[in-house]
Amino acid sequence: MTTFRTIGKSEPRRDLPEKLTGEAKYAADVQLPGMLYGKILRSPHPHARILSIDVEAALSLPGVHAVMTPFDSPKGQVAPDMPILDTETRYVGDEVAAVAADDEDLAEAALDLIKVEYETLPFVTDAVEAIKPDAPHTRPGGNLVGGKPLTLVRGNPDEGFAEADRIFEDTYSTPAHHGAALEPRAAVASWDGDNLTVWKSTRGVHADQLALSLALDVPRGNIRVMGQNMGAGYGTKDETRLGVITAVLAQRAGHPVKIELTRQEEFVAGRHRHGTTTTVRMGVKNDGTVTAVHATTIMDTGAYLSAGPGVIRRAGQGALYLYKCANVQYDGYLAYTNTPAGGSYRALGAPQGHFALESLADTVSEALGIDPLEFRRKNHVGLEGQPGERVTPTHEILDTQPVEGGVPFSSNGLRECLEIGSEAIAWGQPSEQPEASNLRRGKGMGMFIYRGGAGGKSIARMRLESDGTLRLITGLMDVGEGSLTVMPQIAAEELGVDYEQVQVTFGDSATTPEAPITAGSTATFSTGTATQEAARQLKERIIEVAAPLLDADPSDLQITSEGVAHVRYPERGVTFSKIAESAGEFEVEASIMPGSRDHVINSFGAHFAEVEVDTDTGQVRVLKYVAAHDSGRILNPKLAINQVEGAVSQMLGFTMTEQMLTDPRNGVTLNASFLDHKSPTLQDFPDMQVLFADVVDPIGPYGAKALGEPPSIGVAPAVANAIYNAIGVRIRDLPMTPDRVLNEIEAQRGDSQ
Amino acid sequence: MTELPISYTANITLNVNGTDHQIEVDHRWTLLRVLRDVLGLTGAKRGCDRGECGACTVLVDGDPVCSCSMLALQVGGRRVRTVEGLGNANSLNDLQEAFLAEDGGQCGFCAPGFIMSATALLETNVQPSDDEIKAALVGNLCRCNAYGRIIESVKAAAKSKTGQRP
Repeated sequence: MTTFRTIGKSEPRRDLPEKLTGEAKYAADVQLPGMLYGKILRSPHPHARILSIDVEAALSLPGVHAVMTPFDSPKGQVAPDMPILDTETRYVGDEVAAVAADDEDLAEAALDLIKVEYETLPFVTDAVEAIKPDAPHTRPGGNLVGGKPLTLVRGNPDEGFAEADRIFEDTYSTPAHHGAALEPRAAVASWDGDNLTVWKSTRGVHADQLALSLALDVPRGNIRVMGQNMGAGYGTKDETRLGVITAVLAQRAGHPVKIELTRQEEFVAGRHRHGTTTTVRMGVKNDGTVTAVHATTIMDTGAYLSAGPGVIRRAGQGALYLYKCANVQYDGYLAYTNTPAGGSYRALGAPQGHFALESLADTVSEALGIDPLEFRRKNHVGLEGQPGERVTPTHEILDTQPVEGGVPFSSNGLRECLEIGSEAIAWGQPSEQPEASNLRRGKGMGMFIYRGGAGGKSIARMRLESDGTLRLITGLMDVGEGSLTVMPQIAAEELGVDYEQVQVTFGDSATTPEAPITAGSTATFSTGTATQEAARQLKERIIEVAAPLLDADPSDLQITSEGVAHVRYPERGVTFSKIAESAGEFEVEASIMPGSRDHVINSFGAHFAEVEVDTDTGQVRVLKYVAAHDSGRILNPKLAINQVEGAVSQMLGFTMTEQMLTDPRNGVTLNASFLDHKSPTLQDFPDMQVLFADVVDPIGPYGAKALGEPPSIGVAPAVANAIYNAIGVRIRDLPMTPDRVLNEIEAQRGDSQ
Repeated sequence: MTELPISYTANITLNVNGTDHQIEVDHRWTLLRVLRDVLGLTGAKRGCDRGECGACTVLVDGDPVCSCSMLALQVGGRRVRTVEGLGNANSLNDLQEAFLAEDGGQCGFCAPGFIMSATALLETNVQPSDDEIKAALVGNLCRCNAYGRIIESVKAAAKSKTGQRP
């Protein structure tokens, strides 16, 4: 058995000490001399054309330094469907104009002085309505993105359904759901001649640098983006309009400008998990063999596309790939509406898709008289992958979310997750029922698959500095997931030094090489692979440089925590600082394209919940929760457990309480506050057990696979199935609030009586 | 003619972490604003500005309060303690050490607020039960939902305080 120096150990989180003392600076904590405060005027209409804007009164207010409107702002695009500012507004809260003033109160007062003349336009707030032929158009080309659904097919679904003894179908919905990171978006912009520096709450400094460059038509090399620390985002902070507005105001005012969104703005103008309506059909033989799956999802992208195309695709992965089946189809309809824009949010569309799929799987098992666990054991996709023909040319890296069959996984611990999770929840042993007849307990489960791993070209540098410091330099941002800790673990392991010895430079576009955004659960796999390679190269280089100093052959030398020593005569050694003194500072760079030509790299898991439903009040309490995961080798158990627990608790919010409500009469977001968008607290945190399958992936760095997002996928179906097990009532719509549960009890029991 | 917001100021003595500051404050300014923008103490965070998230928690005369929902004028002459008054990254206090050991945070934006609420709890109750910990910290949101590790952190700190090593 391999023994490791730091891999697999719960090294303390690198950036936590400064965060616990308040020393860590987040974007809103940046203060610059002469800095002004910006505020944004937002549209009161869900859809309107701006006819004119009168800014004279605002500009004449003493202390107001700059104003920008769509009529005078630069003409660049922030995204393909989003100009810097636009004369058409597309949701209540859309950016209309902005001001910079000496302080926040003045900026706020100036907003009140801006007179905007609107021509209101017809609007639509519901995605299912939006794709009907007579719906008002939010965009000239119509509301359905691309004019047609995304259709993904393997095999022949019609044949699959023809082979079935029975066919089941049901429809499920999930609401717009906000990540509501505790840190509202903030940006600070400062110009020095033609050079722009932006401090921003971001998960990708290089991506932001590129977006700012394209929008402002400023060369990339003139822009520096500093990530600072990031008060989390769960994917939702990919949005550059704020940074661009801040930069334009700063240029006009001739002073640095800071804009911090308010909590209400963060809810409305941030990004949320897309609301969906999904219909799933499943064909099965009487013995429980799945013969066909067909899922159709209608997804609301809101006023802007943002990450919508990626999310609509991801919503289909479960239907296409979780159950071993030759004949499957997924149709995804992505629709514009006049509501706040959805975005990428932890596991993208996978939680929505799996809620539908895994709820229906329960219905199917019950109808066939098969235990839900047994049904999954019988049908889950195995190591060999899906039946079918490989389509990707053999010399190309395989998509980690393929549709084609005929390609094996690099590793697949789904079966083990089912076994260890079911054992921990004592599956098959009915819940003990309380004496009170209104309290009913039950158990439920759901399994899942998730792509992850490869995240695009990844670069890592490693440097031996003149004082002997070993430094890892990557363009990554740590967004709370822990890459700032795990990357030096990988580097230290490869080098053969202690974890604490590897210093790290992250999150600054000027001093780090290009990195993909910290997204899609790809950081450990992609940048981790680059880091491991860079560490290997640095090790080789250090030994090469040390060899003449020790008058030894490089093959007789090894790295120790002090420096380099002879393998057989350990007393013959030289320290890192001596090596650097002799050779000067040196650096290596590894650039890799992560992935595999032979295998699909996916993470897996199975979640189990035991709940208690109060049939008088509709209240659901989670008594016990078990999350079993295959994410390959776990590089830092404590961080990994924290991440899984956090995702489960976060998604219990999605499952039970959280939703963004838009008034269909006027497009107004009704609950843009923590009091009304009800998020879990410490008192809602259930008794939870996190388990990891004993899997070492043959491709991932030290055997690791993706972990950040997968734990958010299994929660809603596990809880919905547990509620069904407890009271025989199927909840098809999230969140499962007490009033919804009560209504369903009444409706479904009424039906059967 | 639009009327500007009326503003008047007052001089107050603000005692923060044991040091007196003579400050001229606008009557509209919250304690949070004065801490962050006037004194440069940015440990307390602005998460909602309306007392819903707890990220701005500080202690006023020993009690945890949301500094976003208290006017600076109300605090004149009272003792304010912020996270800056505890340890620093090179020498954490026991509570902060426990949070580091138990991984009581992810993105860390909520951490200063949790640390202050937990400080107030442990100063008045050296051996809190799980329920008491949850009740004392329920006003602090962590959107990373690192709640499991935060509860463990506070329990570990309480154990080390009473002489039992965690």
